[in-house]
Order: sequence, then structure tokens, then C-alpha cells
Amino acid sequence: MFEVKNLTKIYDDGTVALRDISFEVNPGEFIVIIGLSGSGKSTLLRCINRLIEPTEGQILWDGTDITAAEASELRRIRRQIGMIFQQFNLVKRSNVLTNVLAGRLGYVKPGLSLLHRFPARDREMAMQALERAGIADQAHKRADELSGGQQQRVGIARALMQEPRMILADEPVASLDPVLAHTILGYLEKINQEEKITILCSLHYLDLVQRYATRVIGLREGRIVYRGTQEEIRRMTDEEFKEIYGEEAERVSAGLKEGGT
Amino acid sequence: MAVQSNKKADCAPLVPGPAAAVASLIVPGLGQILARQIQRGLILLGSVITIIILLAWRINLLAHREIGALAKLGKALDRRPFFILFLIICTVILWLWIAWDAHKQTRPGKQGGLSIFVLVIVIFFSLGWQISQINLYKMVVELPDALPPLSRVLWPWKAAVTYNTEEVGAGADILIGCDDNPPPPPEEIPSKPYLMAEPTCGELSRLDENNKVVKGSILTLTGRGFAPNMETQIWWKDSIGNEFRPRQEGKYVSLKTDDDGGFTFKLIMPYRLIPPSAVGKQIHRVEARQVTQVGGPIASDPLKLTIGRMAETIFMGMMATLFGILFSIPASFLAARNLMSGSWITMSLYYLTRTVMNIVRSIEPLIWALIAVVWVGLGPFAGIIALTIHSIAALGKLYSEAIESIDPGPIEAIQATGATQLQTIMYAVVPQMIPSFVSFSIYRWDINVRMSTIIGLVGGGGIGFLLVQYIRLLDYRSAGIAVWFIAVTVATLDYVSAEIRARFV
Repeated sequence: MFEVKNLTKIYDDGTVALRDISFEVNPGEFIVIIGLSGSGKSTLLRCINRLIEPTEGQILWDGTDITAAEASELRRIRRQIGMIFQQFNLVKRSNVLTNVLAGRLGYVKPGLSLLHRFPARDREMAMQALERAGIADQAHKRADELSGGQQQRVGIARALMQEPRMILADEPVASLDPVLAHTILGYLEKINQEEKITILCSLHYLDLVQRYATRVIGLREGRIVYRGTQEEIRRMTDEEFKEIYGEEAERVSAGLKEGGT
Repeated sequence: MAVQSNKKADCAPLVPGPAAAVASLIVPGLGQILARQIQRGLILLGSVITIIILLAWRINLLAHREIGALAKLGKALDRRPFFILFLIICTVILWLWIAWDAHKQTRPGKQGGLSIFVLVIVIFFSLGWQISQINLYKMVVELPDALPPLSRVLWPWKAAVTYNTEEVGAGADILIGCDDNPPPPPEEIPSKPYLMAEPTCGELSRLDENNKVVKGSILTLTGRGFAPNMETQIWWKDSIGNEFRPRQEGKYVSLKTDDDGGFTFKLIMPYRLIPPSAVGKQIHRVEARQVTQVGGPIASDPLKLTIGRMAETIFMGMMATLFGILFSIPASFLAARNLMSGSWITMSLYYLTRTVMNIVRSIEPLIWALIAVVWVGLGPFAGIIALTIHSIAALGKLYSEAIESIDPGPIEAIQATGATQLQTIMYAVVPQMIPSFVSFSIYRWDINVRMSTIIGLVGGGGIGFLLVQYIRLLDYRSAGIAVWFIAVTVATLDYVSAEIRARFV
């Protein structure tokens, strides 16, 4: 379904963010990418929908190479891939419903959408998405009036509006407290299991990784340094985790204990 | 430590103190340079050179007719003794001080000391005082000259109203140079005012060869049937119909009727040159006129014109702001780095837009108005063009900076949904821009109305056009009305725009 082949990203200033990354994703997986900040997790996720242009390599989506896609084709592929962010990235001054409806932008006629008009079906769908996220009563509030957890639910609702086959989640719970982190990840897991939407998620804390991942990819300095199945990651000890995270593992494990439940 | 000692060696003076002092006495600042205080030395040298050049220029200007330096100095001292003497003494003190300072600079740990620069600044400001022709004495002494126009400008409302008037009058013919057949007194028509002159002929006042006035004949004017107890003006009409009010002892001749509406008055026949080419009998006419107000006060022309021009001004500001906004929005997108960083083509567009906007903005609206007046002629449209051009550049910069400061997160989120570039701008950029957009636009409207009040000074229409006319006609009351309207409008606008901005942002 989806395959990354020899992906490399070198920024204009010469920083090598990704080196020769290859992996394959099967439908319905919940893949977690782990690694220190700066290890290339965000760059990898953004290269997949080409928010960042990869330097070399291929990303195959149903056999189509995303890296070579024309603008209109890229938009067609992008709308099948939802994305959620650490900072939620909602338009703060717009209301919640508008933020959710923005998820349909890839589908609606461009002319009408510029006037903020959406088909009735889309509005219904948006309300349903908000209901499922448990925030239907907030639909007409401004996005920045909501709490962090609620804003991330809006972010997920926006991604679901795309009727995606895959969701990219860039540190979706890093700005939230541990309890909320479990709720949000639980919600993603539910989506993953019930709707068979593939999830590609970057995470920081080992216990969250152990709890939700069906497969783990570890990155260090832009290279894949670890690949593990669900069983392997659940057996993983702090010492093994240290190997992925390198010298700074102490601090990270301290954070793990704090963040653990 | 090594670094420190190195630094000390670098700072060691090249010559001993007295030598530095002597060097500075010859060339100010040289001693400091030799003492390794190069910057200080150069600044002092530059200051002394500049002071001497400026002083020489002013002395030369004060005594530009004299030849020879000493003569010039003497003359200048004669004309501005305090100023010239003070500056020469200060400069000499500075020169000596620089020498002493050079000596001081050679001693380690004693460097610095900025008091010498205080003297430099004092000299420069004294020169500036003279160059900019500040004259406090004149300012105080001639203050009374400013009071009459000032009081008219500050309280101009007398000129704001006027009255309809009605004129009644009667006249009598006068023959210049008596002959056997003087004109008869006019016929009396009942219930109309009547004026009779006695005699009905006489000589006009004239000038003798020494330009002294030789008084003319005296006419006894008798009037009947005028409005009682009212000021009555005497008018003189010559043989070709030109009329004027004669003066006696420097004042216009006027009199007051008695309780019955009658009067008797002795009038010296006024001076009027009769050209030698005139032929035949010269019949002039003397008239008595009464002007009465009819009805209540009505708005005067200056008031009506001011109100009309004020409306014109406000709309000029509004139209210029509207056009400015319309054109600056696309320009601001081109001038926003975060939207244009895509490729070298967009980046060069970005630099081009920025450069053009910076140039346009640095030229004052008044200068744009001068160009626009040449382009479309005098009037408000020229003002609108000038303000629009400036607004596009100013708003374009403000908007583009607002775009540059937006949160990039929502942009990538909207892009990730498969939205087009235009949709991304509408959904991620525009909502973030709205507060600053509204705020800047209203602020610009405020500025444009304020600017359009003065853009008329160069012919750009609006109230400034009227104001500058009144000022040039020395019609300070009418000018005062315009000033009042400008002040009230600008103050109101200031308040309104602040209110709207506070509510929106």
C-alpha cells in the first residue's frame, strides 16, 4: 500500500535530516516512530505528504510515486492522508466548525470554498465528526477558546473529514499532559482499529510506545537504527531504549518515569 | 593574562605626554592619535576643522562687503560682538584643552573623559543657533504683530455668518466747474429719500505742483425721507460711472440721520483726476446710501465653502484608502517573504516589490501630489492619486509584515488536506491577518484624511486648497474657520479610529 524507498533529505544549509530511509507500511498498522528531537521524525512525516520536498528517494502510494507527483495529483494524494500536529495547527481565530470543514478543502469545488460555502453533506459530516470527538457543543466557539485536549480533537476531526486512508501524527500528545495523552492516543487507536486507517505517529515516551504501537521504527541522526514488532517493543528494556536514544537517554528515561501512568 | 598584556602593549602611547601635547597644539588631535587614541584624535580633529570652516563662513557672511580677513573679522565683531567673541574664545579654549587632553591620554588608566566633548557640543550648538537665525528678542518684541491674525484664527466665527442687505439712497448731480447753467436739484418723489446739494456745481479737490491737496468746493448736502437714526454713507460717482466713497480726514464720510430721517452735511468735493482728454461738461453725482440688514443671519460664503471642502477632504481620504487597500493587498502578498520563498522567481518578485514600495513610500504624499497635479490637473482627483500611491506602499509594507508574522502551522495543516494555494491563503493566511488588516486600514484612513487636509496646499484639492487661498489673501477669519473644521474633523477621526481598532483587535 505504502512504501518509502531510500528517502534522503538535505536542507539548503547542508543539514542532513534523513539518510537513506526505507520502510514499508501495511494497511491498518499503527506505526510509531521514535527518536530524539532533531533525529528527523518531523522531517520524515512531512516528506511523506511533501510539506517538505525530499531530496532523493521514492515514496510509493498505491504504486504512484508521491515525490514525482504533479501539483493536482499531489493534492489528490494529500487528501487521502490526514495529518495532526503537536501544536494542533488550528486557525485560532476561525470557529471550530470552519476548522473541521477545512478538512474537506481537497474535495470541494475551489470557487465555492473561497466563499466559505460547503455542501450540506459536508457540514453534516463535520458535525458528526465533532460529535464523535465529544465536542459537538463547542462547534461555534473560536478555536483558541478550547483547551489543548479539545483542540487536538478538533485537529483529529479535521483529519477525519478527509476520509483518509492514513493519518500522519507529528508528536500529537507532546503538548498535552499524560492523562490527556492516553485519551488522545486511545482515540487514534480506536480510529485505527474501527476504520482500518493506518497511523504513522511519532512519539517520545517509551510507555506510550509500548502501549499503542503495532510496529516501531527508531531514528537517530536521520538513520533508521531500530525496527521492532509489537512483541519486541513490549519486551524492550530501558537499556535497549538507551541504545536508540544515545547518550542523552538518562534525561529521556527520567521524563519517561514522570510521564508514566 | 597573555591577552591582557598584549592589549596593554597595543595601547602604549608612542610618545611621552609633553610631546603629545605639543603635537596636538600644532594639529589638534594628532597628540591623541600618537597616544593610540586614534578614534578620539580623529573626532577632535574633525570637530576643530568643521568648527573653523563654519565660523569662517559665518564671519564672511556677516562682512561680505569687506576685503581682507582682518577687516572682515572687525566688521563681523562689530555686527555680532557677543556671538563672534564667544565662539572664538571657545575655539581657543578647545584647542588648548585638546593639547592638555593629549598629554593626559598618554598616561595609562587616565584615558577616556568625555568632558572635552561637552565643549565641542556647546560650540556646535552655538553655531547652530546663529546659522538657523534664532532670534528670541524679535520673537518677544514682535509678538503683538501676531496677535490680531492669531485671535482671528482662534475665534473666526464672526466671518461664519452674514446677512442679506437692502440699499436705499438718493443722489444729486454736480457740475464740475461752475457756469451759468448749473444742473437743477433733483425732483422730489414722495415717500422716497431725497438728497439736495447746494450749490450744484463746484471744483474738485486737486493736487498742486508740490503734491499738496488743494481742497475743493464745499457742498451742503440736505437729505430728507431716509430711515431715521441710521448710518448713512456718502458715495461719489464720476462722469464715466466709477463710484467710490470719499474720505475726509482719512475716514470714509458717513453720517447719522436724525429722528425724522433727515440730515444736513458739509462735504468737501473729493479728489478725482479728470483726464485732459475729457471733453464737454463733467457731471458727477453725489449719493447718500443706507444699507439695512434684512432677515436673520445666514451662513457666509467662507463657511459654506469650508463645509463643502471638508466633505470633499473626508471623501478624498476615504477613496484614497479604498484604492490603497485594493491595490496593496496583492502587493503585500508579493512582498511577504514567507509566501514568496518558494523559488528564485518568486524571491526576485519579492525583492522587486519591496524595493519599489520602499522607494514610493520614502517620497512624501505632497510630492506625489505635485506630480499628480501635472498629470490630471488641479483638484481632488490629483490628491486621491497622490494619497493612493503612498497608501499602497505604506499599507503594502504593513500588510506584508503582518503576513510574515503569522503562525506557519495552520498553513501546513491546510496544505496537508490537499487544498490549493488559493484555498490555503483563504483558510490559513486571511483569518490570521484580519485583526492587523483592519487595524492598519483604519489607521491609514485616519492618516489619509489628515494628509488630504494639507495636500490641497499644492493644488491637490480638499480643504487645504481653500486654506492656503485664505492665508494668501490675509483673510485670517476665513482661514480660521477652515482650521477649526480641520481640527474638529481630525480629532473626531482620531477618536473613532482608536475606538474601532480597540474593538476589533
